[in-house]
Amino acid sequence: MRRCLLAALFFAAALAGAQEQPPVIAVLPGGTVAIALPVSILQRSDVRKQLSGGLTTTFLITARDGDTKGAARIEVRYDLWDEVYHVRRIEFDARQERQRFTAEQLERWWRATPIRLLATTRDLLRLQVELSVLPFSAAEEEDARQWLSKSGGVGSASRGARSPGLVDVLIGTTIQAKPLLTFKWTVDVKLR
Amino acid sequence: MTSRTTIAVSLLAAIAAATLLFWFFQHQLSSMWLDVLLRPEVREAIDRSAADQRKLYEADPAREAEYRARYEELRRLRARIDVLELSRREMTFRYELLLASVFAVMLLAGGIVAAVRARRNERRMAERLRYLEHLAMWQEAARRHAHEIKTPLTAARLEIERLVSQSVGGADEAELQKTQESISEELDRIARFTKEFSSFAAVGVPSVREEDLGVVVREFCTTFAGGWPNLRLRAEGESASRVKVDRDLLRRVFANLCSNAAHAVNGEGEVVFRVGRGVVEVRDDGGGINPGIQARLFEPYVTTRRIGEGMGLGLAISRKILLDHGGELELVDTSPDGTTFRITLPT
Repeated sequence: MRRCLLAALFFAAALAGAQEQPPVIAVLPGGTVAIALPVSILQRSDVRKQLSGGLTTTFLITARDGDTKGAARIEVRYDLWDEVYHVRRIEFDARQERQRFTAEQLERWWRATPIRLLATTRDLLRLQVELSVLPFSAAEEEDARQWLSKSGGVGSASRGARSPGLVDVLIGTTIQAKPLLTFKWTVDVKLR
Repeated sequence: MTSRTTIAVSLLAAIAAATLLFWFFQHQLSSMWLDVLLRPEVREAIDRSAADQRKLYEADPAREAEYRARYEELRRLRARIDVLELSRREMTFRYELLLASVFAVMLLAGGIVAAVRARRNERRMAERLRYLEHLAMWQEAARRHAHEIKTPLTAARLEIERLVSQSVGGADEAELQKTQESISEELDRIARFTKEFSSFAAVGVPSVREEDLGVVVREFCTTFAGGWPNLRLRAEGESASRVKVDRDLLRRVFANLCSNAAHAVNGEGEVVFRVGRGVVEVRDDGGGINPGIQARLFEPYVTTRRIGEGMGLGLAISRKILLDHGGELELVDTSPDGTTFRITLPT
């Protein structure tokens, strides 16, 4: 019953994803393809709720057309102390940028800033774009793993010296961010 | 299904049932420790503490670094708890699966060890039982051998003493002749015993020829019609069944079965040889075989006859003959109405 409900929710989420506006694709000099995600994603109630929590919401964007592929990531965390969003953008060539925004600034930035996804020499692409909204970042995932491992009494000061135990393996394989939402689009890109 | 397979299936079924039971109870208990950590009150307390740090900073901005550090610490703790909350379902499932698997492996290992021990004990007991059975068999054989020799020897010694006293006393020729015949008779008994005993060791290798089984059986019934005064021999069934057999050795088997039948029938009886394809069923209308010896019927020295009436070697010799042919001698049926043996021969 629970599985059926989960499947129905997943289907509903997928349907919702299909109804989102398509992203805007920009072609930058040097055959670089960039993407500006629809702001409606940021305005969704489930995404807003996730963003207002203490965890780093990760927007993972992947694009591929055959062998041509690329990926980028946007990490957003709301900081209660400063009442700002900490945003980290990591593009396909590992270029990173950190910024702090208010809620309004974040929406403006989201709408106006293209994220560089891939570079290609091809003239035409039919990109399969996928956006996954993950509930926490890789750093938080690793931090929780280590903390739980120590809490379980298996971690110690000389942790680095020992080989990983069964509980570590269990923790390592179970604490993994699974997408809360997934959006998929097919976009034609003319580069020249 | 063999007994070993049955044991293995039962063992696996028991392990599966125990593992499911363990899973059920463990499922009830496993999430307790996570429940404690993930209680809403814990998160609320952390959030309140984090908010308090901000208020403290507003009241005393000079100590911002200190309050900020505490706030960050609380934020990280809250983030860890949130990550666990989001991973809870998967984590609980894997944890339960791991424990249940370990439990099942331990049960399986324990079961295998117990089964191996039981098997070892069973073998030891069987070996011991077999040893005792052999010992009893040899004791019985020794008793029969001693009796078979001692009885005629005693009789012969007494007859010799009588012969000596007759000679000294001047007995007549006829009396001396009678005593001498009596001594010879006792010595013949020893000779017959020796012959029967040695015949067991001297069962020859069969010299087989293709024969018509029906013809061999009918010839036996005709030739040995008067062999046992209280038995009638009758052949029936298919006549053209070709088998590879040593005719003399097969006759010996028939003779052994008839000899047993002659002892088994009460008064007069009949032995019927029913011939089939490569098979002869030999049925008598005697009183049947004692259930106590049926399982060991073909072992040497197994007999219900009194000492002096037979060594219990006939069926052992007969089965050996048929096994040497690549055939078999089996007890098919025995009841107070009669006994049937089946002789199978290669065609």
